[in-house]
Amino acid sequence: MLARISYAFRETWASFKRNVTLTAAAVVTSAVSLLLVGSTFLIQRAFDNLLTRWKGDVELIVYVRSDASPEQIAFIQEAIESQPTIIDVSKLRYLDQAESYAEAQKLFAGDPGTLRLLTPENIPSQFKVVPTTDDSNLIRELGESFRGVEGVREVAYAQDVFDVVSRVSQFIRVATTVMSIVLLMVAIGLIWNTIRTAMFARRREIEVMKLVGATNWFIRIPFMLEGLLQGLIGGVLSCAGLWGLNTAWSNAVTDFNDTELAALVVSDGYVRWVMVMLLVIGAAAGAIGSGIAASRFLDV
Amino acid sequence: MIRLESVTKSYSTEVTALRDASFEVAKGEFVFLVGPSGSGKSTILRLMNRQEQPERGEVWVAGKDINAMPDSKVPFLRRNIGNIFQDYKLLLNKTVFENVAFALEVIGRPKHVIKQQVPAVLDLVGLSDKEDRFPHQLSGGEQQRVSIARAFVNRPLILLADEPTGNLDPATGEGIMRLLDRINGTGTTVVMATHDQRIVNQMRKRVVQLDRGVIVRDQERGVYD
Repeated sequence: MLARISYAFRETWASFKRNVTLTAAAVVTSAVSLLLVGSTFLIQRAFDNLLTRWKGDVELIVYVRSDASPEQIAFIQEAIESQPTIIDVSKLRYLDQAESYAEAQKLFAGDPGTLRLLTPENIPSQFKVVPTTDDSNLIRELGESFRGVEGVREVAYAQDVFDVVSRVSQFIRVATTVMSIVLLMVAIGLIWNTIRTAMFARRREIEVMKLVGATNWFIRIPFMLEGLLQGLIGGVLSCAGLWGLNTAWSNAVTDFNDTELAALVVSDGYVRWVMVMLLVIGAAAGAIGSGIAASRFLDV
Repeated sequence: MIRLESVTKSYSTEVTALRDASFEVAKGEFVFLVGPSGSGKSTILRLMNRQEQPERGEVWVAGKDINAMPDSKVPFLRRNIGNIFQDYKLLLNKTVFENVAFALEVIGRPKHVIKQQVPAVLDLVGLSDKEDRFPHQLSGGEQQRVSIARAFVNRPLILLADEPTGNLDPATGEGIMRLLDRINGTGTTVVMATHDQRIVNQMRKRVVQLDRGVIVRDQERGVYD
């Protein structure tokens, strides 16, 4: 067993050195494509952050002052529920201060300054209103009617954010997804090619191996390891790139001091998760691509 | 040990390499396959270790119908069959020792087995003092001895030799034949394709003669023609 493992690693390393240029091309391409995959994830997450407040067809949010009394809150709720022709009462949600605080953690991940000012005690609670109508004028009219009500701090409309954001995010989402898929395919193609070249360079050995009774897996595994390594190195490079990009972006956004934009920052935890994903995708694509290539060219 | 039952093999619609060929090789036998180029000698050898599969007929090796076995079992069949070629098929970047060790390495034999068996087989073929040479530092006869050592190191039941003396001068070829005869003496079945008349006439072993894919003669202690 040990002999087999050391054999596999020796062969992988030798082949790696033999094809420096092709290997480099495959590694760089997979790095770039994985970086795009990662960026797609982050961009989607950033826009999702921005729209978190408006999830579930919420069109109108009534923010309630943190010092509002239970009676005032009950009154606001009644006032909203008294408009069943315009709003969907069954979908009306009230986020108390604890829930609003949890939401804010995500919303202001990129804005520690704002976050520090917020506590579960001073944060406004909120009513999320899902309308039954598409008529934005009606919704706006309803919203405005709450402005003067005691205990109401602010009224926000989804439409203000949505029109721009959702269209932009949709576009970016499609563009980055398409690009990353295309590049990932190019990367797999390049890995495929390096494996084919590596196998051609070793065709005599492979012929002898088959004749003396080496199993196909035994022959294939060094090549799969090579592909896996290429994908993995590409993944590591893309992780470094992604981390750099995200840090630069976060710093830039924080400098703006704009709370709306701050929602576009993605938390470190999510970035780390994406990085693990990239490593896994890189390694898997490399190993599977080269494994298929090796099988294809194994018929000596 | 080996049995062909009405085997037909063609490489294209025009070329029939082997037509309805049947013969049997007993354990420990030494058989020459003779005939001009293209008569089907190599095809028979390639059918015996399943490098080729016939259109019709069956090939039985060591009690198994080898065309009925799944691909995954083929490597284990081949571990019982040594192969020798006219062009040796040595790995040029490996030493004599490494070339022979390679055959054991790739079927997962542990190091201590390799360390013990490779010198033993190199001693058998008379190359003990050339373990560290590379193929290009050896004569043709010596290279063929290395390839025989590689084929035999795993003590296969069967040795298939395709024109093993084809590239060698007569005296060197005779040396190779003496070696194959010795290996045959240990109980290994040997099937050798050749058109070297002198060698066939000298050895007086069983001769199976082919002509355009058809077996035309099968003779004990035969001569070339």
